[in-house]
Amino acid sequence: MFELGTFIVSIISFLIVYWLIRRWAFHPLHNMFEKRRMYVETQLSDAEKEREQAIKMAADQKEMLETSRKQAKEMIDHARLRAEEQAKEIVDQAKAEAERLVEQGRSLIEKEREEALRAVMAEVTTLTVSISEKLLREHANESLHEQLVKEADAHLGELVC
Amino acid sequence: MIAFPYLFPDSIFKINIVTIAMIFVAGLIALIFLRLATRKLDMRHPKGWQNIMEWGMEFTRTMVGDIVPSERFIQFIMPLAFTVLIFLFVANWMGLVATISIHLNTPIPWLGITASDLQSANGDVALFDSPTANLSMALGLAVMVWLISHYQGLHRPKAYFKNYRNPLHILEEITNPLTHGMRLYGNIFAGEVLIASILSMPMLFHFIPTGLPLLVGWLLYGAFVSSLQAYIFAVLMVLYIGMKSYHMGGGH
Repeated sequence: MFELGTFIVSIISFLIVYWLIRRWAFHPLHNMFEKRRMYVETQLSDAEKEREQAIKMAADQKEMLETSRKQAKEMIDHARLRAEEQAKEIVDQAKAEAERLVEQGRSLIEKEREEALRAVMAEVTTLTVSISEKLLREHANESLHEQLVKEADAHLGELVC
Repeated sequence: MIAFPYLFPDSIFKINIVTIAMIFVAGLIALIFLRLATRKLDMRHPKGWQNIMEWGMEFTRTMVGDIVPSERFIQFIMPLAFTVLIFLFVANWMGLVATISIHLNTPIPWLGITASDLQSANGDVALFDSPTANLSMALGLAVMVWLISHYQGLHRPKAYFKNYRNPLHILEEITNPLTHGMRLYGNIFAGEVLIASILSMPMLFHFIPTGLPLLVGWLLYGAFVSSLQAYIFAVLMVLYIGMKSYHMGGGH
C-alpha cells in the first residue's frame, strides 16, 4: 500500500542521512585518499627527479674527471717539454761558455808565447851582438858593426823558425 | 500482517513512523561504523576498520568506474554511491538481525492503530524493522534516483530529448524507477515475511523447534540477498544516473 507521506518523508530523511554520512564519513575518507594519492605522487616524482639528478651528477663528475686527467697529462707533457728545452739551453750555454773560455785561454797563451818569444829574441839579439862585439872588438870598426847587427836581424827570423 | 504506527493516519499524508525512524537508525549505525573507521585516519598505516572502509571506497570506485569510466562522473557520484551502498547494506540487514514488536491489546487511534489492524496483526505492533521492507520508502529512494538522473540529463537538453525519439524509452522512464524500488522492497519484505512465518511454525511436541534448520538456512540466504540487493540498487542507481550524465562523459 503506497503512502504518500512515508514516500516523501523517506526521501527527505534519506537526504539528511546522506548529508550526515557525506559530511562526517565520506569527506574524511576521501580527503585521506586524496592526501595519500598526492603523497605517493610527490614521492614518485621526487624519486624520479632525484634519480635524474644523480645521473646528471655522475655524468658531470665523469666529465670533470676526464678533463682533469687530460689537463694533468697536458701539464706534465708541457713541463717535460719545457724541462727538455731548458736542459738543452743550459747545456748549449755551458758549451758556448766552455768554448769561449777555451778560446780565451788559447789566445792568452798565444799572446804570452809571442810576447815571450819577442822578449827572448830581443835578448838573443842583444846577446849575439854583445858576444860578437866582444869577439870582434879588435877587428871591426863602427861600420862593420852596423852591418853585422843588420845581418843578424835579417837571419833571426830563420833561426826562430 | 504486522501493524505499524502512523503519523496523520487519516489524511492522505500518512507517515510510517517506524520506517522513518529506521532510516535514521540505519544511517546512525552506518555513521557510527564509519566514524570508527575515520576516527584515527592514518594515511600510511591503515588498520582495523579503516581497512574495511577503504576497501568499501575502492569497491564503490571500481563499481562506478566499470559502469561509467569518466573521472568527472566518478567524482560526482562517489559520495552518493558510497552512502547508498553502506546505508542499504545496514538497512537490509536490520530486519535479519532483529525485528522487534510489542503486543498491544488496546488500539491507539491517533497513531493509526485501529482495532481491526490489531486484530489482523494479532496485536503485534512493529518497533524495529528494515526501512527497506516498506514499499513507499523503497519507491522513494528509486524516485529520488530518477529525479537526479533527469536533473543530470537536462544539462544537455539536445542529447536528453533525442533519447526519446524512441517511444520505448518513455516507457522505460516509468518502469525503471518502479522496478528499481519494487525489487528492493520485494526482496527485503519477502525475506522478513518468511522469517516471521518460519518463527511461527508450531514446535514438535512443544519443545522441538522444527523450523530451526529452515530458519538458519533462510537467514544465511537472507544475508546474501540483503547484501546483493544493496549492491544491485547501487549499481542500477549509478547506471540510471550515468546514462543521462551526458555532460560528464556518460550516456552510452
